[in-house]
Amino acid sequence: MDHLDALENESIYIFREAHRKFKDLAMLWSIGKDSTTLLWLARKAFFGKVPFPLVHIDTSFKHPTMIEYRDRVAKEWAVDLIVSRNEEALCAGMEPGKGRFVCCNALKTQGLQQVLDRHGFKGVFLGIRRDEEGSRAKERIFSPRDKNFEWNYKDQPPELWDQFNTSFGPDTHVRIHPLLSWTELDIWEYIRREDIPVCPLYLSRDGKRFRSLGCVPCNFPIASGASTVDEIIEELKVTKTPERAGRAQDHEAAYMMQKLRSLGYM
Amino acid sequence: MNINDTLRIVIVGHVDHGKSTLIGRLFYDTGSLPEERYREIEETCREQGRAFEFAYLMDALEEEREHNITIDTAQTFFKTSLRPYIIIDAPGHKEFLKNMITGAAAADAAILLVDGAEGVREQTRRHAYMLSLLGLRQVVVAVNKLDLVGFRRDRFEEVEEEIRGFLLSVGLVPAHVVPISAREGDNIATPSERTAWYSGPTLLGALDSFFPARDISGLPLRFPVQDIYVGDGKRVYAGRVESGCLRAGSRAVFSPSGKKVVVRSVEKWKQPALPEAHAGECVGVTFTEELFVERGEVLSEEGEASPAAREISASLFWLGNDPLRLSSRCVLKLATAEVEAVLSAITERIDSSTLEVTERHANRVENLEVANVTFTLQHPIAADTFKENPRLGRFVVAVGEFVAGGGIVREVRSDRLGGGTRVVRLHARMMTEPDGNFIDLSREAGPVEFEVSPGFVARLGEGEKVAIRLCTADQLEKIARLAFGYGLGMTFRRGPDGNRVVLFREGPVVQATTEEGFPVI
Repeated sequence: MDHLDALENESIYIFREAHRKFKDLAMLWSIGKDSTTLLWLARKAFFGKVPFPLVHIDTSFKHPTMIEYRDRVAKEWAVDLIVSRNEEALCAGMEPGKGRFVCCNALKTQGLQQVLDRHGFKGVFLGIRRDEEGSRAKERIFSPRDKNFEWNYKDQPPELWDQFNTSFGPDTHVRIHPLLSWTELDIWEYIRREDIPVCPLYLSRDGKRFRSLGCVPCNFPIASGASTVDEIIEELKVTKTPERAGRAQDHEAAYMMQKLRSLGYM
Repeated sequence: MNINDTLRIVIVGHVDHGKSTLIGRLFYDTGSLPEERYREIEETCREQGRAFEFAYLMDALEEEREHNITIDTAQTFFKTSLRPYIIIDAPGHKEFLKNMITGAAAADAAILLVDGAEGVREQTRRHAYMLSLLGLRQVVVAVNKLDLVGFRRDRFEEVEEEIRGFLLSVGLVPAHVVPISAREGDNIATPSERTAWYSGPTLLGALDSFFPARDISGLPLRFPVQDIYVGDGKRVYAGRVESGCLRAGSRAVFSPSGKKVVVRSVEKWKQPALPEAHAGECVGVTFTEELFVERGEVLSEEGEASPAAREISASLFWLGNDPLRLSSRCVLKLATAEVEAVLSAITERIDSSTLEVTERHANRVENLEVANVTFTLQHPIAADTFKENPRLGRFVVAVGEFVAGGGIVREVRSDRLGGGTRVVRLHARMMTEPDGNFIDLSREAGPVEFEVSPGFVARLGEGEKVAIRLCTADQLEKIARLAFGYGLGMTFRRGPDGNRVVLFREGPVVQATTEEGFPVI
């Protein structure tokens, strides 16, 4: 068993554990490489039939290429997809110009909260990884959020030997993170091995590519000639630039990601 | 696993012995620190008017920067020419032991960090003890801050002797003890001229000598059922091979039920007919005959199945804020089995820092303590001793919602039911039958086992009593064990109508009156 096999099996175990323990589950599909890998792993875990719906929180500012890719993959894999927007905030004119923190919080965090409330989901799978960013490094695999959506990272119960905390109070929902131990490089090597289709924006065109996908106004491509998955893997092996360098909300102010996440951001 | 595969290491030790600085240094010296991060740290330090500190790399959360301590287990990544590393930073503060354990339980190897000036301290010992209880055997000791003692050989050797002695007492032998200065970079990636007297490897060299040790080969098959998927006209038993090898076509047996089966297929998505699956693989299994076994049952090869444990003796580490009391109920989770259990004996309470036995035959285990205990299980589960099979020999304990402790199995008692055993079920319904709360065993000369329902105990809790007429002294012993395990009171009386035992639950002041009020058997 090699490194990727070990990661794959770990993720499958987590999926099956969550499915066994929670009735009302959903998976957040951001259309990016991580959550698409997550979807692929869910198909593996359940022998091709994903037993819960996928949720895409559409801020309305996503790249059109992402939406085309989403609809194509969803159809091909016959997944149950819920697309949701925070219409109220959008009607009230929410956009990044109002401030990135406010916008992310309204369109993504509150958007997610609305979907959870509407459908009564008690558990949500997310494709976050520990190597992405500091506050994610501190996550547990099964991570509860209280009714106000808040994450109490200072007092998390222990999690060891794949014995996850799966009983929580009625007002909590749990975030489940099957990719927590994966790195960006693992993801790409796995995408190559399994031949998972990725959004074309990741591949270089005219000397630029997106390394992390988000909303058009806050998401910038990096200079890169990597136009194939192989070339991306080679590039990652030597790069010294962090993955989320092109994500504006991370850099707006000190601790912004931490503040967003303690309010329930993914 | 391959030698070039990722190795997960945990860095443990006493608070302020330099963990965060070491991590920053490991990153910097292996060229794994992105430029942008380096500049971020520089800027943060400048803003706060402090000298450059590598420690800030790990202290990603605001509160930590303010308080200058590492709160939770964080993970980061670096690379040597041999392989990538995942580094798990475990907090050194006493109150964050549960985070240290969360981190260390996921690691292949550990760096135990000791301040060369300060020497071995409380958390150094406690963490080392926890490493041994978690079964982590690949340990390197780094004696840090040697710049503060002028890289003196005699000081290093003093600390080395002390830590080696302690590790030996918990059954650990470090691969190396390396003299370092994380702040100044001595013996991290390159040998230091300032420790010319030291001939061992650098810290990174020592790490590269370890193995990604998650494989459990050579042990008998253990395949705990995780879930059952029904569809397409078949039942697929999903699970992970914890040890050994699961082969299609093989004869196997479930524990604790004892059901025998023949494996029809071993499957994965798009691979419906695998010849076999090895330790670590998540698969689905079908059998030649329809059968009904539940999650928690463990498949083994015939003749080498895990015993069906009724009672488990274990070394327990307790992380709950409230003490775990004798006779209290909790849930034991072992592999995929979950069983209600009663803490029926606390043989020894141990100070996890000094290893001192603080009390024998105790009535509680306090936060951060280790204890040798016995759990009586409500129904049997498959379990091995930790020594025989670590994967089926470790468990966690949940009280209420959350996991609050864990342990490793030292001994398994199965009390397997022989032929002719009479099973007496004690349930709530029995207590309202017309002839009162009375069980007559006076004609049961053979072996007897009791099964207790939660409702039964609840009824006793409401003040009811139950009388049992006995035939043998063996029955008396069984009932005494039951009373002990469920925290019940009991009286024994020899009367004209034979030998009688009365079981009851003492009032809410049970704890206070136990000494005197507990009836003599």
